[in-house]
Amino acid sequence: MFGIRRFRPAGGQAVTAILFLVPALLVLVAFRLWPAALSVAGSFQHNGEWVGLDNYIFLFQSDTAVQSLIVTLIYNVIINPVQIAIAFALALLLVDKIVAPSVWRSLLLIPVGIPLAVSSVVWGIAFRPDDGAINAILMALGFPAQPWLTSPDQALLAIMILVSWVGVGYWAFFLTAGLKDIPSSLLEAARIDGATYWQALRYIVIPLMKRPLAFVLVANTVSNFLLFPPIRILTAGGPSGSTNLIMHEVFLNAFTYDDQGLASAEMVILIAVLLLVVSLQFRFLRDR
Amino acid sequence: MLLGGGNSPGRAIVVNLTLAVVILAFMAPIVWMVTSSLRPNEEIFRYLSPLSVRAILPEEWTLENYRLLFESAFRRALINSLIVAGLTVAIGLILNAMAAYALSVLRFKLRELVFTLVVISFLIPFEGVAIPLSFLARSWDLQNTYAGLVLPGVANGLSIFLLRQFFLSIPVELREAARVDGAGWWTIFWRIYLPLSRPALIGSGLILFMFQWQAYLWPLLIASDSSMDLAPVALGKQLGQFDFEFGQMFAGSVAVSLIPALILFPLRRFLEQTIKSTGGKE
Repeated sequence: MFGIRRFRPAGGQAVTAILFLVPALLVLVAFRLWPAALSVAGSFQHNGEWVGLDNYIFLFQSDTAVQSLIVTLIYNVIINPVQIAIAFALALLLVDKIVAPSVWRSLLLIPVGIPLAVSSVVWGIAFRPDDGAINAILMALGFPAQPWLTSPDQALLAIMILVSWVGVGYWAFFLTAGLKDIPSSLLEAARIDGATYWQALRYIVIPLMKRPLAFVLVANTVSNFLLFPPIRILTAGGPSGSTNLIMHEVFLNAFTYDDQGLASAEMVILIAVLLLVVSLQFRFLRDR
Repeated sequence: MLLGGGNSPGRAIVVNLTLAVVILAFMAPIVWMVTSSLRPNEEIFRYLSPLSVRAILPEEWTLENYRLLFESAFRRALINSLIVAGLTVAIGLILNAMAAYALSVLRFKLRELVFTLVVISFLIPFEGVAIPLSFLARSWDLQNTYAGLVLPGVANGLSIFLLRQFFLSIPVELREAARVDGAGWWTIFWRIYLPLSRPALIGSGLILFMFQWQAYLWPLLIASDSSMDLAPVALGKQLGQFDFEFGQMFAGSVAVSLIPALILFPLRRFLEQTIKSTGGKE
């Protein structure tokens, strides 16, 4: 060991290391860091000229931009807890005494293997108000047909249903891994002491699941804040801006209205809000 | 795992039944998608109202939708998707493995710091920089090129992380023996580390593949020419047009979904290991 180190001085490895790292670092700089830096710089520019905070001021006075931010927040406040709660319930079922657990778990992973754009297309057809499958099922169960994506009141809900269908099985998959790590001796002891299902859940399982839950919640929040394909494919932000999540609003500013400065400023706001929410989630789940 | 005292057969029935209903509901859209792709166009909506079991059970089974689909422009989009995903995996594995090798095997100052920075910067979600990057990529003349579609997907922090973990588990004695025999660092990388790392390479390859196969925003931004469309973008575009055929739409959806499933299924145990090793419970 020592002989080898003396034989090959460590200084030589630094050069080799740089050579091995260069390709990945180049891609990292060119396709991640440089555009991120340009985006921040670009948010203070209009058509290449420095305009200070004008873009930001314009955005906070623009009804469309403010509505988009509000829609994004409403969407996230609802969908993230709901998805994680369903995923957690599903995970609890999957680690219970069930027949063929691996089959069920594999089936639940199918939706996330399908590209979101494809799921959006299929659900888009299913949500059609006149001849869609969802309304067919509702009517067969005795409920009236709903307008879904064509109504400002229901379009966001329809997007939430579609996105949850995609994600819930995936997050349940992560959570089952966490649940399996809980020592069965703990649950055994609780059972001997006469703890009910809900008591064992509340006082043993949930406290021990804080880390996996935090991980899943944060990962889910990030992907939901950046959601784009179903909006672009199904609603284009409408009706009346009711599904105009920020990613789509940034896209519109960048490519339909060709205003890069405005798009950059909006992207910076989105990332700032996202970082704030994620750090709050981490703090919240750590403290309790 | 069993919570609380309930261990009765009645409870087991309730649990299994609940799960069965939930899973059935989850599978329904997929069953509908698959059967609709295998029936004539005019049958697709016929049995929805009033709803009958025929809605997912074609009277007439046919591959006509697939035949028409593969004669249309969609075939090109599907081939593009395969090319882009394939190139991304091939280039990405080499790039990421090289970086992981430097960050696990080679000794240099600040190695841990570089590692942390690399992984954190790659964990920035790509969507966050995609739109500003697209302005930049145009100035580099990457629009409507395979390079433009492939490059943003090749380097991946998760993939570097996984490969590094695996490289760290390879015994130091192996490379020391090779060094004594006069092997260079590249030879050790290529002849010892890569061949020993098959499971980690497969896991990383799957991550890279899924990233590109799922991609929608970036291909939409960088490929304005429809001959460079990727399959998910091509499908999405069709839904917006007036004269599209539902049967072909479903057939396209099945094709785009089936390809990753066919690739994932034989490799699922590697994916499971991969997900577990990144599942935030280290």
